[in-house]
Order: sequence, then structure tokens, then C-alpha cells
Amino acid sequence: MSASISIKNITKRYDSVTVLDDINLHIEDGEFVVFLGPSGCGKSTLLRMIAGLESITEGSIEIGDKRIDTLPSGQRGVAMVFQSYALYPHMTTRQNMSFGLENVNVAQDEIDRRVNDAAKILEIDHLLDRKPGRLSGGQRQRVAIGRAIVKEPKAFLFDEPLSNLDAALRGRTRLELAQLHQRLGSTMIFVTHDQVEAMTLADRIVIMHKQKIEQIGTPMEIYQHPVSRFVAEFVGSPPMSMLPINHIENTVDGVTVEVSGAGKVVTAITLPQDFNAKDAVIGIRAEDTAIVSPQEEGLDLTIKVVERLGDRTLLYGTLVDGTELIAEDTGRSKVKAGETVRVSISPHAAHIFDGNGLAHHSQREV
Amino acid sequence: MKTMNYSPEHLTSNRHLFWIAAVLGVIMMAPVAWIIGLSLKDNAELLKGTEAVFAMPYTLVNYANILESSSVFGWFINSMIVAIGQTIGVLLLSSLAGYAFARLEFPFRKTLFIIVLFGLAVPEQAVIIARHQMFNWFDLHNTHIGLILPNLSSAFGVFLMTQFFRAIPKEIDEAAMLDNASTFRIFWKVLLPLTLPAQATLGIFTFLQAWNDYWWPLISATKADMYTLTIGIASSQTNFAQSEGLGFLGAQAVFASLPVVIVYIFFQRHIVTAVSGGAVK
Repeated sequence: MSASISIKNITKRYDSVTVLDDINLHIEDGEFVVFLGPSGCGKSTLLRMIAGLESITEGSIEIGDKRIDTLPSGQRGVAMVFQSYALYPHMTTRQNMSFGLENVNVAQDEIDRRVNDAAKILEIDHLLDRKPGRLSGGQRQRVAIGRAIVKEPKAFLFDEPLSNLDAALRGRTRLELAQLHQRLGSTMIFVTHDQVEAMTLADRIVIMHKQKIEQIGTPMEIYQHPVSRFVAEFVGSPPMSMLPINHIENTVDGVTVEVSGAGKVVTAITLPQDFNAKDAVIGIRAEDTAIVSPQEEGLDLTIKVVERLGDRTLLYGTLVDGTELIAEDTGRSKVKAGETVRVSISPHAAHIFDGNGLAHHSQREV
Repeated sequence: MKTMNYSPEHLTSNRHLFWIAAVLGVIMMAPVAWIIGLSLKDNAELLKGTEAVFAMPYTLVNYANILESSSVFGWFINSMIVAIGQTIGVLLLSSLAGYAFARLEFPFRKTLFIIVLFGLAVPEQAVIIARHQMFNWFDLHNTHIGLILPNLSSAFGVFLMTQFFRAIPKEIDEAAMLDNASTFRIFWKVLLPLTLPAQATLGIFTFLQAWNDYWWPLISATKADMYTLTIGIASSQTNFAQSEGLGFLGAQAVFASLPVVIVYIFFQRHIVTAVSGGAVK
């Protein structure tokens, strides 16, 4: 029943303000795609345009082979789970789930079967006669998902559905959503600004920034090979450290860069001839650093804050000239705030971003 | 920071507040007790002096006389038709208008809403002559329609319902749109049931206002069989000083108040909410 979704040259403008600019995206049948980006990037607007809740200024949307952007919301074959759940407060769980089917004149037997099946999958069969006011946040969330499931849609649309749940429930629901996707095999689009949700749920992540798609890729592609400085800084916790580059020197294996306040950093990155070195930076993730003995080569880092996470320790510090760097040590690290440690950087793990914010990576895997 | 305690237990335990409340209560209830007392006295006895209220014997003869009087029942029915008709009409029209102003996009929406709100500032007295002439042209005086029609357009009702519809999250409409519900079905099955508290508030106020209305029925209903209770009772006064038939008049007043009292008893929770303006959750 599920289908692919093609978004072609979508633009959305409110008077003179452009909210989405020439978006192109193809989502495969059965794929779980997450729209990730900061507030105001247009990710929710794009989802609402697929749902038919926002008009399109230019472009078209197809589900399967059928153009749907000219159809009303209810006839597009999509189901949406809202951030606020948007359950009908005066209807019971069963009525909430049945309402959409009654509107398209599905036979009562069939409605009962679908509602009971969905309730069983979501383990809400004991809540069918309760109204939303008597349900917990997690239960309401399940009812909202159940309301979507019974419609047997071609695609599920989720608009930040986990953001109203507490941390523990959010983690559990995330897992259940992943299982639900495996079970139903439906096309799902999930909007979030939470990168953990994106990384754990997505087959592919669509990173959106300033009304455009910045990068489309699998979670690991996005994490390991960000196309731009924005993606590199937005994805990953803690964020990638950015060190200003003063000078670039070509070597046999790549380039060696002179980092402000830290000396030379050897990388395995090959840069193009037209590389824009103005305001270029080298990006280093905390896990690509290691604390080494003072005799070994590396950067001297004065530790300001030590964050112990159990399995690892994050060291927030500054280099000689005050540039900030986040390094990682083992969970049993003895490093204390105020100490200066020597940090080495894996030459294949660093990323260089040119003056335009464009990324250059090592060709070898780390 | 010291917080004020408004709980009933606190208020009754505060001696000064209790006595102030008690005195105010007596002042408010005295006329009610007085009229009930009058209604239970023989008219001839009251002719000697109204202090007879405080002495035995009491009688239900005035109430029996009401039951024997055919016109009082007719007026009661008229009041019922007008009050219920007006209440249903106001709820229907205010809900439709409120939904339209809150949810639908149409030209001059804001301007029209302001014009409707302007109705709040126009007193009935300003339009009464024109209205009287209009109803005269259309031959609507001395009809139930003529008594109901003028108050169907309630600026307060439209304003109240608009605000209430606006307070309902738009995601509810959107969820219903995705559930393939038509605009009317969204209004009727999804949003209207959610406005029940506002409907109750508006319905109660409209009913009470229609039941107690005196001026327009006085102008429009000139035939005795079209009188509402308020006009009918006023017309029953046997002389200007009201020195005769006082007990019967009292019984009529009590009888006329019964529906209002019943409405209050059944809907007091909604009335309190309406008056407190949602301040008390």
C-alpha cells in the first residue's frame, strides 16, 4: 500500500519571504526519511505541503505515479501524527481512530477490524473507550499513531511527534517507531530538530538549512562526511570543533595545516587547486582525538571543563591562542580542569572546510 | 510571599467576612422572601396592610387561581416559545458566524467582524423605532417570530463564539482535514462539540435575557394572547398603587421566576464559569 514520494522544484513564498527554495527530493517506497534542521529552516512547512495543509507556490509533489499537490488533504493517501497529537478531545480512542474511516464510508466491520488490529499492535486495546483527557502523554501518542495506521496510508508523516514526551518515554517511543516501521514497511517522513532521533530512526536524513536542502544521506554519511560546515556543526554531540587554518602545506599523503595557536596538524585530505583558503577551518570531532603523553606530537590543550559520561570523558579546553577544542578521553580519565594535556588528532578523521563552508574529507576511511 | 486564601472554609472562618456576606445575602434575598410571603397570603388580608405577611394563616389560593387562569398559561407558553426559540437561534447563528470569523478566509473578514462588534455599542433604544416600523411593514407584530427575530443577531454571541473557536488548536481542524472530513463535518462533528462550555454560557444568558425581556414584547405584543409572562403580569396589576390583588401578583411573579430558577439550578456550574470568565479552572 505504501508508495514513493517525489518532491519536484518545490518553492514556498509568503509574499516576498521565501520559506522553501527549489526543493527536490525523491523518497523510495518504504523508506524512513527524517527532515532535520534548526527552527525556521522550512522542514515542517515541507511536511505540511506534502500533507496538503500548506499551499505550494511552485513545483509539484507525486505519491507513486500520481500528482497529489492539487488534491485536498484527505484524498492524498497520507496520514499525519502531529506534535500536539491533535486528538479529538470529545471522542473516545475508538472514535478518534474510526473517524477518518467513517468519512470515506468504510464498512463498520472493516472499521472495527482495523481499529482492533491497530490497537493490538500499539497495545492500546484496553484504552479504546477512554477519551484523550484520561490518557497519559505516551498513550495519546499511541492513539495518534493508531489513528494514522488504521487509514492504511501510502505514507506516514510525523511532525516532531516525540517532543512532548519526557526523556525516558521519548527513547522508548523512538524504539517502538523503528519497530513499527520494520513491521509495516511503510514510507515514513519524520520531522525533527533532534539529531539523536534522526540518527537512530532514519534510513536517510535530509538536512535542511536556510530554505534549502543542505545534504541528503544515510546517518553515517551525514556524520562522517558532512558536505558543509553547517552540517558538521549541526550534527553530532558534542559539536565538531573548528580550528582556524593559518597556512596549508601540500604533502604526499594530503595536506598539513598550520592551526592558529596549535602548530601543525597532519591530514590525509587532498585539496583542489581552486581551494578558497580565506577563513578556512579544520574540523575535528572529539572522538577523533586522543590524549597522548607530552613527548608525543600533538596540540596542547588547557582543560576548562571535564564532562564525565561514564563510558567516555569529554574535555572542553582551549589551545594556546584561546581557540576552543573538545577532546575525548576514556571513561577512566584522570584529567582535571585546569590541567594542560597533549592531544593528538587522527590524520584521516579531520575535515577541512573552505571559506565558502564547503567540506573536504580524507579519501580513506578512518 | 503571602498568598490570599479564597477557599470557602477560610471565608466562613473569618468572622468579619462572614457577617458582611451574611448581611449582603439578607439584602439580596429579602425581596425574594417578601414576594414569596405575599404570594402565600390572601388578597383581602393584604388590603389591610402588607405586615400581614408576618402572621399566619398562609394559603395557596393565589397559586390555585393561577392554575385556573387560562391567560397565565398562555403567557407562560409564549415566554417559553420566545426564550427557547431565541436561545436556539442565537446559538446556531452565533456558532456559524463565530466559526466563519475564526476559521474561514473570506474578503473583508476583519472589517465585517469589527462591524459586528460595533453592535455591542449600539443600545436597543437607538433602533427601536426603526425596528417597530419594519416589523409593522412586514406584519410581524403580535407573532412569535416577531418576538424572537430581533434578538437573534447577538453581537456578544458572535464575539464569544469567535473567541472560543479561535482558542481551539488549528491542528484539530487539520487532523480532521486529513481524516477527509468536509468543512461542514469539521464544524459540526469536530469543533462544535468542543464549544459546549461556550454554548452553555451563551445559551443560559440568552434564555435568561429572553425570559426577562420586557421592552420589545411590550411594543410588539399588543394583543393579550401574545403577551409574554413579563408583559402579562404587568398587565394584571389591578390598579396603579397595586393595593389590590397583591398576593395574586406575588404568586404570578414566583410562577414566572420558576423556569429561571430551574435553569440556574441545573446550569449553575456553567453560570459560575461564565461569570468568572474562565478565571477559575
